[in-house]
Amino acid sequence: MSTTSLNVVLKGRRSQPHQLIEVLQDIQDLYGYIPADAMKTVAQELGVPLIEVYRVACFYKAFSLKPRGEHVITVCTGTACHVRGSTLLLDQIQGQLRIQPGHTTDDGLFTLECVNCVGACALGPIIAHNGMYEHHMTPGKLRKIIGDVYVTKKEESHHG
Amino acid sequence: MLQYVTLTIDGSRVRAAKGTSVLDAAIEYGICIPHLCHVPSLSDIGACRLCIVEHVRNGSSNVTTSCTLRVQEGMVIRTNTEKIVKLRRNIAELLVAEAPNSRAVQDIAVRCGVKEVRYPFRNNNCIQCGRCVRYCNQYWRANVLGFIGRGKDRHVDYPLGTRPDFCKNCGACTLYCPMSVTPCEGPMKRGEEHLCGKCESQLSMSASLPGACVRCDLGKGFQCARHA
Repeated sequence: MSTTSLNVVLKGRRSQPHQLIEVLQDIQDLYGYIPADAMKTVAQELGVPLIEVYRVACFYKAFSLKPRGEHVITVCTGTACHVRGSTLLLDQIQGQLRIQPGHTTDDGLFTLECVNCVGACALGPIIAHNGMYEHHMTPGKLRKIIGDVYVTKKEESHHG
Repeated sequence: MLQYVTLTIDGSRVRAAKGTSVLDAAIEYGICIPHLCHVPSLSDIGACRLCIVEHVRNGSSNVTTSCTLRVQEGMVIRTNTEKIVKLRRNIAELLVAEAPNSRAVQDIAVRCGVKEVRYPFRNNNCIQCGRCVRYCNQYWRANVLGFIGRGKDRHVDYPLGTRPDFCKNCGACTLYCPMSVTPCEGPMKRGEEHLCGKCESQLSMSASLPGACVRCDLGKGFQCARHA
């Protein structure tokens, strides 16, 4: 972990406890998760107790304490999506990637997450692939999305 | 100079300094309101909900925790109405279901008139009263403990899940935990949890004189400040 990038995030925000959430958000964007060392640095620099930083980081779903995969697939399990078959989507992903919700594949490519509603019930069942909403999802379409990621990954490694 | 207000608790006029809580005022005058998460000298968070009272205002009343309710001039408080007793009994029942392995919780449940526990025993060994957290953070200013997570995953934990080196090892978290006093017959095994209720016989006074302090030894250190 580079201290320079953390310094950029913390620049102009030192000793300002109220900036805690903003700083954590920037760290989340920077690393894709919030490393323990970063939390300690933030606690020191902002003048916030470490327990407070940890508490906030644990409280919000937007923050992840574990490294997340390159592709974050968020399945909506809200009522509307549920009746339209989001459980089938979950089964599809869990079977294909062999991970449980909240976990990341061993190769660090995929993270599976569940949310209760993304607020687009008319388009359900809906999944978010790295923040992009994919509407009227079916297990078949989902298999293709995941497959495509593996294909592009393979091509990249061939060329690279 | 201290400013005083006069309020009515259970029909008796009580004078209390401005800014104190209704619970503190009641304890000072010997009016027994069961409480668990309240620790003198620490801020109150109303976590255990045992100290609920009825605040009568404009002919209607609302139920609120007395430890977080500040005294006001002319306030009318009722601590022992039928409604309150019923609600409090239910709260105590939930606390026992959550942590049956605490003598303090068991005793308070008996004190509040719990006869049976209708909820499944979860035996979480924590009722999230926050006594440890507040003592650590407010008295020692060590900031070693805190509530982590939310909803049903909320629990007390160290920062990053491990005990940090700035923990002073004062042991106050254990000392102030209601779980530190186990039931007289030893901790109950999982699946064998039950309401103890053996000290119920000590409560004959309270049944005939509702609202009177029974000078109970029950849950010593966790009840009236006068007996702590």
